[in-house]
Amino acid sequence: MTNPTEQQPRSDAGIATAEDGVVILEGPNGVAVTMTAQAASQTGASLIAAARLAERQIAANGEPEAS
Amino acid sequence: MFSDRFLRNKRNVTLSPQERGTIEAAISEVRTLEPRSILVRAGDDIAHSTLLIEGIMSRYIDDRNGLRQLVAIHVPGDFVDLHAYPLKVLDHDVATMTAATVGIAPHAQLDAIIAANPELGRKLWYSTLIDAAIHRAWLFRLGRLDAMGRVAHFLCETNARLQAAGLSDGHRFALPLTQSDLAEICGLTNVHVNRIMRQLREERLCVFRSSLVEIPDPQRLAVRGQFDPAYLYIDLPDVTLPSSNRPPSP
Repeated sequence: MTNPTEQQPRSDAGIATAEDGVVILEGPNGVAVTMTAQAASQTGASLIAAARLAERQIAANGEPEAS
Repeated sequence: MFSDRFLRNKRNVTLSPQERGTIEAAISEVRTLEPRSILVRAGDDIAHSTLLIEGIMSRYIDDRNGLRQLVAIHVPGDFVDLHAYPLKVLDHDVATMTAATVGIAPHAQLDAIIAANPELGRKLWYSTLIDAAIHRAWLFRLGRLDAMGRVAHFLCETNARLQAAGLSDGHRFALPLTQSDLAEICGLTNVHVNRIMRQLREERLCVFRSSLVEIPDPQRLAVRGQFDPAYLYIDLPDVTLPSSNRPPSP
């Protein structure tokens, strides 16, 4: 049985916005980070690549639980 | 009296005039300090503790790159480094945020208080336990809350602490801190804090302008920041728990 207080992968997305020439990424789970445009682009590319890999892992192993 | 605000309006603890007099007698010196001046550095040997009489002070830790995390804010009436009494050396720096007036209480005097008046010693201990409770709340704030929640929680906490000290009417108080200070308290960048302050203003949750904080509806701000004032042990009817912060029972 799943412990309802246990940290689970989030199924809600973080939201990135631009402010004064930098990128602010907020949430989920209290994420609050400000990045340069270049760092944000690299983070976005890294996130997409990791998401594709996770999808392949799901295809091979099944779905993890999400909150 | 220098100690008028010490443990003022706290639950389960009241200082008698005699006890306040004893604390006053333990203060060997009153100092005025410039804004942004360091009072204690991490690693220094310390033979006294500091009662904040006026102003705002902080405790902070810098990372290897010199980036600062404020780990505590002190308001008038706080014994800023009473934990230095048994520890004798601190693991963090202590500095003023604003101009400040402090009372210096030599540890030898605190020894004498505790030996002669264990009940007052217990009340000094209580004061350090409030500090610990506030640290737990700061961990919660940084670990669980989003950016707006962190700022809202801090402003609610400061409002409640200043209300207990007689320095807020519950809706409005002076807070001579910068957005950069708020960033170092909340683990955010200046630009992020700037945006949060704009959002708080647009949502009519809080206006922070010219070192003055106005909170039209403290309960709404408390709900936004998941602020439950129980950890402050304040004994004032206005400082109430917003019940909507409580999760439903399982």
